[in-house]
Amino acid sequence: MDPRKLIIAITLGAALAAGIFVATNMSRPAELKTAFKIPVASELPEFSLIDQSGNTVDSDTFRGQWDLVFFGFTHCPDVCPTTLQLLANVKKELAESGAEKLPRIVLVSVDPERDTPELLGRYVDYFGEGYLGVTGELDEVRKLTAALGIFFEKAPASGDNYGVDHSAAVIVLDEDGVFSALFSAPHVVANYVHDLPILMGDRQ
Amino acid sequence: MKNKAMRILLLGCVLLIAACGSDSLPPLVATDVEITATMPGGKMSAGYLSLRNNSENAISITRVTSPEFEAVEIHSSFIEDGISKMRRSDELTIAAGNTVTLQRGGLHLMLMRPTGSENDISLNFYSEETFLLTVRTSITPRGN
Repeated sequence: MDPRKLIIAITLGAALAAGIFVATNMSRPAELKTAFKIPVASELPEFSLIDQSGNTVDSDTFRGQWDLVFFGFTHCPDVCPTTLQLLANVKKELAESGAEKLPRIVLVSVDPERDTPELLGRYVDYFGEGYLGVTGELDEVRKLTAALGIFFEKAPASGDNYGVDHSAAVIVLDEDGVFSALFSAPHVVANYVHDLPILMGDRQ
Repeated sequence: MKNKAMRILLLGCVLLIAACGSDSLPPLVATDVEITATMPGGKMSAGYLSLRNNSENAISITRVTSPEFEAVEIHSSFIEDGISKMRRSDELTIAAGNTVTLQRGGLHLMLMRPTGSENDISLNFYSEETFLLTVRTSITPRGN
């Protein structure tokens, strides 16, 4: 082979390798464990719901703090309280680790028929202070869930009781009220404690 | 006289050992029992426990009752394609020599509409009309 061609080939190869190395490292600025960052973060749509005190909840309610939003219902004895307790533990561990920002925990009812503001309030207050319980008209709940890709529907009845199937994901809304990331089940405290500071910009 | 007394003592030991042998193990044993507190404003508790079948035959639990709750059902929570679901199970079968664990996010007892006491709760397990076991426990505060 012509020595000049060989040198060009080696140079191009080295440049390619260096490019791949730089690109690979630049494309993972922070190593998230399980959180999925939404490629094109989307703002919340227009909707009108109420919180446990009867105050209006709309997209503005989600500006000014980070929110972890879980969808569930108060007649759920197993998964919903387990998940809310887990999120409470996440917040406690973040606080103990000295995190600058702590997310608010939000429960949006997928069973607004039974979940009155008063019932929802007693439910979320059990897990700690500052929780936001959201309920309201079913159509308004659907406006919010549709925008966040959350599914829910009533499940087969058991006597006079019924369940509600619902997406198990926890949605992350940033300080501008923008849907920016999500955590899929199974939910693990250590993964949240690792990923949330990265998402919230506390740790690069 | 001393030898006779010794023989009686030995016989007693043999009988005691025989009585304590594997044949005398109860067929169904419950451990790690936990009944969660009813959520404020709610009417539901969940029950978690391990059930060991010491017998040589499969045991099917078809009914659970409790004087402290109006209704008790066997439920299963599971995630299917990212959707959290809960369904009632008609029976819970434990193979011979096996243990089935009812735990968070999986099989559990759904206890509905408490009627009173939280400190002394009885759970009665049946296979059809055959009584199997009574477990006595108390409510465990959530978060523990």
